[in-house]
Amino acid sequence: MGYVAVKAGEEIIERAADLFEKQRLDGEDETLSVDQIEGQLDRLTAQAMSEAGLYAPRLAALAVKQAQGDTVEAAFLLRAYRSTLERWDETVTADPSEMFATRRVSPAYKDVPGGQILGPTKDYTQRLLDFNLETDHEDDEPDDPTADWEVDETEPEQLTNVMEVLREEGLVHEPEHEFDGEPADTTRESVTHPVDRDEVLQELARGETGAVTALGYSALRGYGQVHPTLAEVRVGKLPVKIEHPYTDEEVRVTDIELSESEAVVPVYAKREDPQFAFGYGLTFGRNERKAIAMTILDASIQLDSESEPAENPEFVLDVVDGMDSFGFIEHLKLPHYVTFQSILDRIRGIRHRAGVGSAAGVDDEAKNGDEAENTERDDSEQTPMEINNDD
Amino acid sequence: MTDAHNRSDRFELIAACDESVLARFANEILESDPPLTIRQEPKPTLLMQQVREPVERRPFNLGEVVVTPAEVSLDGERGFAMRPGKAEREALSGAIVDAAVAGGHNRTAAMVDELEAAGEQRAASRDREWAESRHTAVEFETMEDEL
Repeated sequence: MGYVAVKAGEEIIERAADLFEKQRLDGEDETLSVDQIEGQLDRLTAQAMSEAGLYAPRLAALAVKQAQGDTVEAAFLLRAYRSTLERWDETVTADPSEMFATRRVSPAYKDVPGGQILGPTKDYTQRLLDFNLETDHEDDEPDDPTADWEVDETEPEQLTNVMEVLREEGLVHEPEHEFDGEPADTTRESVTHPVDRDEVLQELARGETGAVTALGYSALRGYGQVHPTLAEVRVGKLPVKIEHPYTDEEVRVTDIELSESEAVVPVYAKREDPQFAFGYGLTFGRNERKAIAMTILDASIQLDSESEPAENPEFVLDVVDGMDSFGFIEHLKLPHYVTFQSILDRIRGIRHRAGVGSAAGVDDEAKNGDEAENTERDDSEQTPMEINNDD
Repeated sequence: MTDAHNRSDRFELIAACDESVLARFANEILESDPPLTIRQEPKPTLLMQQVREPVERRPFNLGEVVVTPAEVSLDGERGFAMRPGKAEREALSGAIVDAAVAGGHNRTAAMVDELEAAGEQRAASRDREWAESRHTAVEFETMEDEL
């Protein structure tokens, strides 16, 4: 059975949308500007961009405003907008070491070359509500907490990647063959299994933050073999480069903010030469949680095991996309009258043949006592499968 | 030092330059009504960002970046610009400025100065950001000796 369309008054649907819009405008406060969202709520816009697979901070701020802070809805709006655009080209392939890092910590190496740079973070402070923020908008110009810092402005250094340190020691399991093809593009061709690693990385990079985090966490909680040590976590800006159409030289269009994570996983029990296996995470914007969880999933999937959910690429890639899960979960609230009527008819028929209740309807059920309830409970076990088949 | 007379450098400077500066120069250039052909309409488009994963060195598609390119022909000289985001006016202004500098427009010196100033501003901003981050560099100490 397929879908059966329903129709309702267009005007009523518009009224409901107006009521939704009114919620954003309720109260006497000034409307939140897109500039404010872009500038002050960049974790929200970063999450929307990351889950949309589309880097556009200004448009993401607009989407967050329109979605009233619902990041998945905002990502949906961005993907819908993206579907109207042509692709100009691919960028020059970037090496993450080109990233201008504003934050880099290495949980693996205490004395990492280039140093541990905390950057802008509150990771090491207590999670206490700051009630001063309730009134800081009343100040004409909020104080810059770094205004008194005496810093020497020098050219940014390129920080040595921890992976390079391990590679120099021969501890990195080098690939037998260098991949020299074009990477797959899952926005143009559906993922098929068995899946290649470039597809896994692309899908995880635009996975829904909560789903990626939950699945990564499952591996740590015993439903998997990977409990990695993070080689490093970085936040920074990567140049977006193209070949200039006149000069054919590589030129920078802009910089995009990224979060990156690399993990080492010991595999000495599995290989003759004890080395590390690795997991990698990279995502648009500031979203370290997702980058780290992506790292765990990448490492888990590379085990080729499939004995745990996080190690099964088909399972992971089927459930991490926010648009897919959002659409499937939320479509359940749309009219299913025909489906439900069909289920009702079936249950009533079964009950009638079993001699419980009456085929007349639900009103009689209350009179039939415990036996009737048990029968219904047994029958209802079939209904989810029927709904799935319909959908 | 980035040279705004160089086409590739100029592309990067135009991409980083303030919108109002580009618009002002484009308006000045168009005041004399020079022959202008739009070779590529400024409209938002996508660049697929490809990244090389650092262990297997395998490239993958990270996601798309919204950019707005534009190309013009001004007085027989081609100009091309690309701005980040949805930025039709900025891209068109940038392409006009690019063509004007390439063709030796009489405002070239002023445009070159402004573009190079934008480059210096961008570099100073990065230097400042780096210096602030460096100011948070920490040396962790293991406490095993104290246990």
